[in-house]
Parts: sequence; structure tokens; C-alpha cells
Amino acid sequence: MFPYKENPMQHKQQRMIPDWAWAVLAIAVVALTLALFMTDRPDEPGEALVYDVSRYEAVADDDVRYHETARIALELDNPSGLAVDSEGRLWATGEGALLMLDETGREQARHEIDGRPDCVAVAPDGTMYLGMRDHLAVFSDTGEHHTNWETLGERAWTTEIVVDENHVFVADAGNARVYRYTHDGQILNTIGERDPERDSIGFVVPSHYLDVAFDAMGALWVSNPGKLGVEKYRADGALLTAWHQPGFATHQFPGCCNPIHIAFKSNGTLVTAEKGINRVKTFAADRSFAGVAATSEHLNAGWNAAEFPADPAPIRDLAVDTNDRILVLHGPLRAILVFEPIDAGKEKE
Amino acid sequence: MSTETKPGRREFIRAAAVAALGGGVWMAASPSAEKWVWQIDPHKCTQCGRCATHCVLNPSAVKCVHATKICGYCDLCSGYLQPAAPALDTGAENELCPTAAITRRFVEEPYFAYSIDEDLCIGCGKCVKGCGQFGNGSLYLQIKRDLCAHCNECAIARDCPSNAIERIPLSRAYVLKYDENAGEGA
Repeated sequence: MFPYKENPMQHKQQRMIPDWAWAVLAIAVVALTLALFMTDRPDEPGEALVYDVSRYEAVADDDVRYHETARIALELDNPSGLAVDSEGRLWATGEGALLMLDETGREQARHEIDGRPDCVAVAPDGTMYLGMRDHLAVFSDTGEHHTNWETLGERAWTTEIVVDENHVFVADAGNARVYRYTHDGQILNTIGERDPERDSIGFVVPSHYLDVAFDAMGALWVSNPGKLGVEKYRADGALLTAWHQPGFATHQFPGCCNPIHIAFKSNGTLVTAEKGINRVKTFAADRSFAGVAATSEHLNAGWNAAEFPADPAPIRDLAVDTNDRILVLHGPLRAILVFEPIDAGKEKE
Repeated sequence: MSTETKPGRREFIRAAAVAALGGGVWMAASPSAEKWVWQIDPHKCTQCGRCATHCVLNPSAVKCVHATKICGYCDLCSGYLQPAAPALDTGAENELCPTAAITRRFVEEPYFAYSIDEDLCIGCGKCVKGCGQFGNGSLYLQIKRDLCAHCNECAIARDCPSNAIERIPLSRAYVLKYDENAGEGA
């Protein structure tokens, strides 16, 4: 029995919404569901949840006193150390190799090394010293492995070496001290240890950065990263000068542990490299701020920090060559960046 | 005329259900069967902040953990203090953490020990970024096993820009930056 026979009006009511409309409605519901599913994304984290120091990276144009004049590409994996010898040659080390370059960057020699040295120095007689995390490896001027010095312990992390006629100074970030060695590997004394009698807390080294450098007069300077500055010492370990500049302004050192590398120009200018806000700055001999040599924008270009999460600091070492050019060993770019004054003679140094 | 009866649909479904149930019980009881869980590889994490906003739980199952063995015990801790903080103390205007989940205790000049209040931590990773960018990366993010809802598809992993969230065996549970037995980077 058909309903319309009993009630023709009911049939009319059923037909008020045609079948095609039901189909369109069904499609619309499915499309809406899909659209909601596809576009339902949580809110992106706002400013309060994101760490951002970009505002402190900005540098006034007037403060930028150097520009990059050359870039020396290195056939070297994971570059870690840079040095300039007394004849002006450049030495760069990294994974499994030590390169000798002339001052224009042409490779003159390549020595294969077991492991990855952390740092390198070359004595005036050509002897090469490589920091191998817990000890120094010594090579002759022809690249022959001469000897390994005694281990500095399991906490040791050699981060920089400087050599003069009498001594070898080795920065050990792991033990937060500098060792003074004779050229044949005997430790004469340490510098920067905690010493309650002198009311000294010693070097504060929160991360694996501790640097040593000679100034133009041959005086020994050591970075004290946890105190955000540099200090001058006598060879026997007596503190002569301390200069600390904590803060996020351009002329200061930010974060917990900066500067990470230091070097000196022949006129006494201090050159510093920082991490966190990656940049290179110069300070005149009286430690007044002289300018920025390399900005964050410049040093962060051409590589992706996300690819180097374990070691995000791109500046692996810093040096000044015999022509007073600033050399920056850039790890991710596998290159030495050469900086010279934009307007020679008008530096604030 | 054959007297054999063909197996019906009902019998087939019943047999399949028994097989599936048996297989499931066998797999669960098998000692080699291991559960896989979501975890963050701290060596890949870029602290984008999405762990705080994308987890289906609120607050997130992601928390900051602290490898005290590699901590620098900094006075000027960049994971604890705002950049350019007006003062180096516990004032809210100086603290970096948006929920004040990090507390510090003086040890000796100039060192401080830091700890995380897990109940307050929302897993944004702001402190992790500060510590890694300026310090030595002793703070890092992990998905807490007792909090994780074990979603079939992790909502954070789906949008993680560095693919830092991956499945690991439950027996491993965490990807530690410092393992007492294996050393740093384990």
C-alpha cells in the first residue's frame, strides 16, 4: 500500500526538499568536515614563549668599522683551530688534518692527523703543537709526530695554545686553568686556579671556551668567559689586570660566557669573538670600544644554524695576521673570513 | 549430491577474530615485543616553542630537564635570566621562564644550582634556547613518560620543524644529554 494513496499531502511534503539538495548538503558537510580537519592547527607560540635576542644583534652603521675583504675556503671538515706563525703563514686544523696556507690562502702543505685537534700553535722554530682534548701532540716542522705530552686528566679540554721563546701556554677549559709548559713538556705552573689565599675564584668557564693570547708587547691575556671579560697575567700566574664588560649592549659581552676567542693587533687593539650573538668586535688599547669587525648578520649568512644544533657557535677560532688583518675561522662555512678596516687610518683604535 | 557444507561468513569472521585475538595475546606476552614511545632528540631540537602549544595535553607533556653534570652553574645563567635583565636576582622582571618554573640556589661565589619545577614547566623551551645559545646546553626538553598520552600520531611531532620527535623503545624512555654510565652525548 502506498502512503500517497492514504495521504497525498504527505508525499508532497517529502518532495519539498529534492534529492539533489540532499546530495549537495551531504557534500557540503563532508567538505566542511575535511576543511575543519585540515585547517585545525594549534596556535603558534607567541612572543612570550620564544627566546629571541635579535634586537640586540642590530648594530649602528657607524659602529661597523671593518669589512670582509677575502674568504679563504678550506678543504677541511669541521674546522676547529687557527694560528698564524711568525712568518705570516696561516695554520688551520680540523677533522684529521692540519693545513699550512700562505697569507693569500693558497694551501702550501697538508698534514694528516689522527682525530680532531681542538687548537693549534706554531713556534718560531716551526714546531707544531696541537691540542688533542686532554693532551698536546707535538710535531716537527716537517710534520712528523714527535711526541705526546702527558694527559691533563679526563676533564681536560684544550682550547687554545700560544708559544713564545721560553714557554708554551695551554688553555684547558675543562679544568678552567692555563698551564705554563717548558718547550719539552714540563709543567711549570698553572694560571687561574681558585685560590682562597689570594681571594681569587679563578677562571669561570661554563662552556668549552677559554682562550689565551699574547698582546703586541708579549704580555699574556686570558679570557675569563664567566666573568665576561679578559685578564692579564704574569707568567707565574699573578693577576695584573682584569677587564669585565657584562651586558647586552654592543660594547659589552652578553650571556653567561663571552668572549669565546681573543686576539691582539700590533697596536694593542683587542679583538674579541662572541657566541650567542655571533660577532667580532675591537677595543682600543685603553679598552674603549672601537667598533664591530663582523656583525651577526654577516656571520650568520650562508648557513643554517639548525644543521649545527650541537655546536651553534660558528666562530671556531680567531687570529690576527702579520698584516693586522682579522681572521675568523668559520666552522659551518668551512672558511677563513678576512676582515680589514673599511677606512684605514680612521679606526677608533 | 554432496553432503559437505561450505563454511559460512559467520564462521570465517569467528575464525579471523580468534586468530587476531590469539596473535595479540602472543605478541603482548612475547618478551621480545617492545612498546615504542615518542621522545625528543635534544641534539635535533631547535626550541621553536611548539611543544608548549601543540601537545594535546595542557600543560604539555614536554618538560625541561637539566643535566646538572654539564651545567656551568652560572651566575649569569642565560637560561634563567632575561637577556639584559635589569638585575641578576629572582625578580619576575629578570626571569626568563614565563611560568617561573626554574629556581636557583646559591652554592658558592659565583655559582648557582638550578632546578626545574615540573608542575610549572610548560615545555616552551625558552630557557633551553637561552642556555644552548649562550651556555653549554645543559637544559633540554624531554617528553615525560608518566605524562605522555601516547597518541598514535604525536601532535607535536606532526609540526616539529626539525623532526626532533621520534619513536624510541620504551626501555630507553629518554634521550639523555648526559648519561652517568655512557658520558656526554649518550
